[in-house]
Amino acid sequence: MNSNHHLYFITMSQPAKKQVPIKEGLFEVLEDGPHLVGSRCRECGEVTFPANAFCPQCCTETMVNVPLGRRGTLYSFTVQRFKPPPPYKGSEPFAPYGVGMIELPEGLRVTAVLEEDDPTRLQVGMEMELVIASLFEDAEGNELLGYRFRSVKDGPQDESVSR
Amino acid sequence: MREVYIIGVGLHPFGRFGEKDVIEIGREAVVAALADAGVEWKKVEAAYCGTVFAGPMAGNKVLARVGLTGIPIMNLENACASGGSALRAAYQAVAGGFCDTALAFGFEKMPRGFIAGNPNDWFATMGLAVNPQYFALKARWHMANFGTTEDHLVKVSVKNHRNGALNPFAMYRKEMSYDEIANSQMVNDPLRLLMLCAPNEGGAAVVLSTKEIANRVTTKPVKLAAVVLDSPLYGTVEVPHISVSARVEAPTVTTTASREAYEAAGIGPEDLDLVELQDTDSASELIYTEEIGLCERGEAARLLDRGATEITGRIPVNVSGGLLSKGEPLGASALAQVVEVTWQLRGESGARQVKDARAGLTHVYGAYGNCAVSILLR
Repeated sequence: MNSNHHLYFITMSQPAKKQVPIKEGLFEVLEDGPHLVGSRCRECGEVTFPANAFCPQCCTETMVNVPLGRRGTLYSFTVQRFKPPPPYKGSEPFAPYGVGMIELPEGLRVTAVLEEDDPTRLQVGMEMELVIASLFEDAEGNELLGYRFRSVKDGPQDESVSR
Repeated sequence: MREVYIIGVGLHPFGRFGEKDVIEIGREAVVAALADAGVEWKKVEAAYCGTVFAGPMAGNKVLARVGLTGIPIMNLENACASGGSALRAAYQAVAGGFCDTALAFGFEKMPRGFIAGNPNDWFATMGLAVNPQYFALKARWHMANFGTTEDHLVKVSVKNHRNGALNPFAMYRKEMSYDEIANSQMVNDPLRLLMLCAPNEGGAAVVLSTKEIANRVTTKPVKLAAVVLDSPLYGTVEVPHISVSARVEAPTVTTTASREAYEAAGIGPEDLDLVELQDTDSASELIYTEEIGLCERGEAARLLDRGATEITGRIPVNVSGGLLSKGEPLGASALAQVVEVTWQLRGESGARQVKDARAGLTHVYGAYGNCAVSILLR
């Protein structure tokens, strides 16, 4: 009984690092990997991300949630060279990161941080895929997760994170 | 609807002014406009204030230093379009017959550095709420599709800094060389530091009246022929955008606001003698030049190459130096464009005077796509 009590104490005082999405409902992990969660209008078929109850085109509450395709093409890109002002949180010290608009098969372009930070390795039209990435650790010691895109030709770099 | 005229304009210079109080910056602009108008403050019947960073009731605080006259005072926050929104409200009040004279004013003392994101926005925490990032994404797209190059981005900044060197109210007031701009620090590829405008401090004010009053108090009345404020349609890329439709391509908010302004003023882009537009960055100047209709889509770089947008060109753009040279105090920038065009139409712009200017357009664009366009005629 004493040993059980001791074990309980350790668990409470040193909890395992908990993984928490930066915002609930942005993405989900299905059998084939991670997907962004969007919404599709039952009337006009437009798909938006993040998911929203109202269709921004029809202005009616006609949206249903749908997982978005994991792969798309790079529509435009830049590299963030300076540390953004608050509330930005990222790895320290700051490292530049790519930002792109990725056109997904559902007919929308999602803005996202890229795994690539070298603009000479980025090209409009190249194929990209979604990954779930560890962003930073919060005050409670939780690991915050977000989404990013990487070049398909780079392939998976860390199976445990991406799949 | 009644015709609306500009009878007085005033500026507080744009720049950095140390410990100077933002309310005092606003007051100086208002006092300058009233002096220019030649009307007593007691004759002004309504006031509309645009500011983002000056805090609640900032317009009341400024006008308390000019005198308490009991008039309605509206405080408006609309990001980069705040001053344009104040102008629209004042214009509507006079046009609609609710008053015969109205004041639109705006002022700002902005924090240094890039504008911070909203603390509640998860995408800001992820690093996706940085204004130049969005300008850069649009710039890259324009370059990939229309043959616009880094050379063009440098040349826009060279032009606007050359114009700003002639403007005593601009922040920088000095020319910048091609090499200085082309070798400045990369901020968001392809945009470098000297291709981006700086948030700063400044104030601007405009006094509007009916035609009857204008004819009485000034020999150089300028007609405010249109003031449009639009928000975007579904299917356009705005600041910020987490996603945008790839299936629907709606006309941009700058396109719709410009069209509505031309229709209201009864002129077209070919009738303009100068344009002051939202050059938050070099690429934005080119993109808005097209969207305002000064050339076909994708042709702005060619217009620039031909020198058409210089002070002496066919359609001068940002003769004041634009935001690139003046800096951008959000609440004041739109009204300062109106001040510049008013001076130009009166022939009071000195070294940067556009010859025989008779028609000018102003344009601001800001967060979430709010866009204000006005047309001035003499």
